[in-house]
Amino acid sequence: MLAAALDSYLPIGVLVLMGIFFAIINIVATKFLGPRRQGPIKGLTYESGMNPVGTARKRFNVRFYIVAMTFLVFDVEIIFLYPWAVTFSQLEPRSPEAGLFLGRILFFILASVVGYVYCFRKGVFRFD
Amino acid sequence: MPAFITAQLVTSILTIFIVVHVILLGCAYCIWLERKISAWMQDRCGPNRVGPWGLLQPIADGLKFLLKEDYTPPHVDRWMFTLAPAIVIVPALIAFVVLPWGGTLDLATLPFGLAERLDLVGETVQVIGANVNVGVIYLLAVGALGVYGVVLGGWASNNKYSFFGGLRASAQMVTYEIPLGLAVLAMILLAGTVEPYEFIDRQREQGWFLLQAPVAAVLFYICRLAEANRAPFDLAECEQELVGGFHTEYSSMRFALFFLAEYAHMVTGAAFFALLFLGGWSLNPLPWGPDLPGPTEAVGLGVILLQFLVIFAKIALVICLDMAVRWTIPRFRYDQLMKLSWTGLIPVALLIVLATSVVVYLGAESWMWLVSLGCVALIWIAAPLMPKQPNANHRLQLAGSRFSPLPDSDVVTAPTEPLALTDSPLPRRGR
Repeated sequence: MLAAALDSYLPIGVLVLMGIFFAIINIVATKFLGPRRQGPIKGLTYESGMNPVGTARKRFNVRFYIVAMTFLVFDVEIIFLYPWAVTFSQLEPRSPEAGLFLGRILFFILASVVGYVYCFRKGVFRFD
Repeated sequence: MPAFITAQLVTSILTIFIVVHVILLGCAYCIWLERKISAWMQDRCGPNRVGPWGLLQPIADGLKFLLKEDYTPPHVDRWMFTLAPAIVIVPALIAFVVLPWGGTLDLATLPFGLAERLDLVGETVQVIGANVNVGVIYLLAVGALGVYGVVLGGWASNNKYSFFGGLRASAQMVTYEIPLGLAVLAMILLAGTVEPYEFIDRQREQGWFLLQAPVAAVLFYICRLAEANRAPFDLAECEQELVGGFHTEYSSMRFALFFLAEYAHMVTGAAFFALLFLGGWSLNPLPWGPDLPGPTEAVGLGVILLQFLVIFAKIALVICLDMAVRWTIPRFRYDQLMKLSWTGLIPVALLIVLATSVVVYLGAESWMWLVSLGCVALIWIAAPLMPKQPNANHRLQLAGSRFSPLPDSDVVTAPTEPLALTDSPLPRRGR
């Protein structure tokens, strides 16, 4: 049991280590190999060659928050649907049990469709 | 030898080692291929100076990246700025570990009598990095991690272009993740599994899912273009508006890591597409007729190599299609991009999931193609009846706006915000 789990998940760990190693090697190597020059003009924020105006740490449009929240709602819903999908497709077709599964998930999706329509009417999806 | 070092573990790590190098080199040559395809589509020559047909160009580029200055501007958040490329590249590299590159290898067929010498006769191994039983969900999860590095890079740069690029990229990636997840969900329903090997097995029995569920395939294809920030969805780094987007302030190898991660995402997405819809290494798209051996049949080294080549060719084909799309279709406007997903792809994806679950309930999986066509017809009929939002271009009157002022009106062109006038890092001249 443990050996099987190791067989499946140990290579992922090895690959993560390889990825981190690759990233570190590249970043460190170019630090040592490349030239190093500083200057007051070079240190300026790049704004297409103009003198920089203001800072980038500004307030931004609230729509991005709303998108993030709406995404969270839908994504959590999809996460719940994955285990359902695997179990549901292994049930006997047209059996009462499968019907119960289907009915419940239809209710679940319907609830999120209500939320979707509310968002649509409130203008969450208007991005112009 | 410790007990946990099994033949399967050694094969997995060997596979990973080979595939990592193939993918990294493949990404470098994707850039060459992209330049060649764009040149061909625009009737130019493309790179042709370094080596024959410019074939050594990616290597020259890589060396140049290493030898350039890795500049950290003084105004950035130093730690986050250094960390962001690493956070981008690691998920891009670890995603393909669960993809099957070949079926089951019979170790007795190894050359030089290796099996007898190592006492492995009769054992079989699977040619896959990690045979995880939740492989498809792992792919989705790791693919979604890419957004963190992009947001971090955009925020840490302390540059307006980077900041807006990062914001746009994050909003776009989370938006297109929903239809992507729903399309994959429909495929999980159809296959009844989340194991990559079983996906290939199901498609050998039922025919490729591209034919079974064409609508989900198109949804998935669009969403993976958007997830990889590819044109026509490369809003995060559109040159005309945002210079380089989230990697404006990056140079040298850290920029190259962002670039490499983007191509690695594209390769992984293409492999995911080949696994879900093109049947892995299956050569026969129909449910009947001859085909390559399935994932559970023990085969020799030659057949494994053939399976690897088939899946590799499919990935290359999907990537070439991506590149042709990039040089054919112009970039979306930002509000169009958001509208496409929220009011277009997500309702369609929900409809597909509902239709698939009903089909699975009825046990009529072999009629899924007809239901998909029915969904297309339904969308065709219902789309004109849907509530519409006014077109952005027609709401703003041009005459009288600041773009086309009326004859007597005052036009404000200088920045009016007090912060913008006081907070300049340069000393004001002429004082």
